Amino acid sequence: MTQPNSTPPAGHFKRNPPIAGEADALERAKNGDPDAFSKLYALHKRRVYTLCLRMLGNVSEAEDMTQEAFLHLYRKLGSFRGESAFSTWLHRLTVNLVLMHLRKKGLQLVSLEETINPSEEDAPKRDFGSRDPRLSGSVDRVTLERAVATLPPGYRLVFVLHDVEGYEHNEIAAMLECSTGNSKSQLHKARLKLREILRENEQAAALQGESK
Amino acid sequence: MAQSEEKRWTCEEFTKSLPDLFERADGGKLSADPSFAEILRDCPQAAELVRDLEYIAETARMLLEPEGEAPSADLWSKIERELGSNPDGGSAQ
Repeated sequence: MTQPNSTPPAGHFKRNPPIAGEADALERAKNGDPDAFSKLYALHKRRVYTLCLRMLGNVSEAEDMTQEAFLHLYRKLGSFRGESAFSTWLHRLTVNLVLMHLRKKGLQLVSLEETINPSEEDAPKRDFGSRDPRLSGSVDRVTLERAVATLPPGYRLVFVLHDVEGYEHNEIAAMLECSTGNSKSQLHKARLKLREILRENEQAAALQGESK
Repeated sequence: MAQSEEKRWTCEEFTKSLPDLFERADGGKLSADPSFAEILRDCPQAAELVRDLEYIAETARMLLEPEGEAPSADLWSKIERELGSNPDGGSAQ
């Protein structure tokens, strides 16, 4: 379950180029060198932690799952064959662990497709009728990160997996045990919701500017 | 996208089909597909929506490399302790 088992699309290699010193640390860590494993931790801790944090939306749980991911990595390192970038493989392992954790918390008995669907009130409004101001085109990463953190969990999961991590809908569908159509729909709703949040932020900032 | 070249979209149809259309678009860039030029020209709301959603997807890519976020400094010590007490890498969870 937690073993990454499929070769990722070529895009993952482009988005996860080799890190200096990684190959050497990897080989030494496979041979049981504890310093080399420490080096792998240093190289990847931020991305693994950030991935956990984005998926879980909770600092404490994200720390626990980061720990879990590296313990799992230690155990599974020997099975890494280099068919994908190491970081891609490590991220897939982390995603699987986080999803397993979420299911253990109560999502395992019901299809995630149903469980992660937010309520109607959370759903983004349809874009018909009056024309709203469009996004300014100057959204920075901090603003987007904050907006992503406020997404309902189901939207956030699919958005992070697809738009940030670069997984395809068929991979996400397999991971979340939902249909490809559901993954596409959740992603679209996530982007619509983000648009709504970001536009509200921009309008609030504009109003604040006017009142000064 | 030969099929969509022949199709005459209404704004509503086009907007409803966006999840699928984005998935099929090359690089997720629907606005670059000439077969949608007409509907995007005729339906300004849809054009703005597409532009914003493409922008959000593009901006999301820069989140891959984390800035600032890091686990607490003592997490490595916890991992080392766990590995020390269970060299097979098993966890307490």
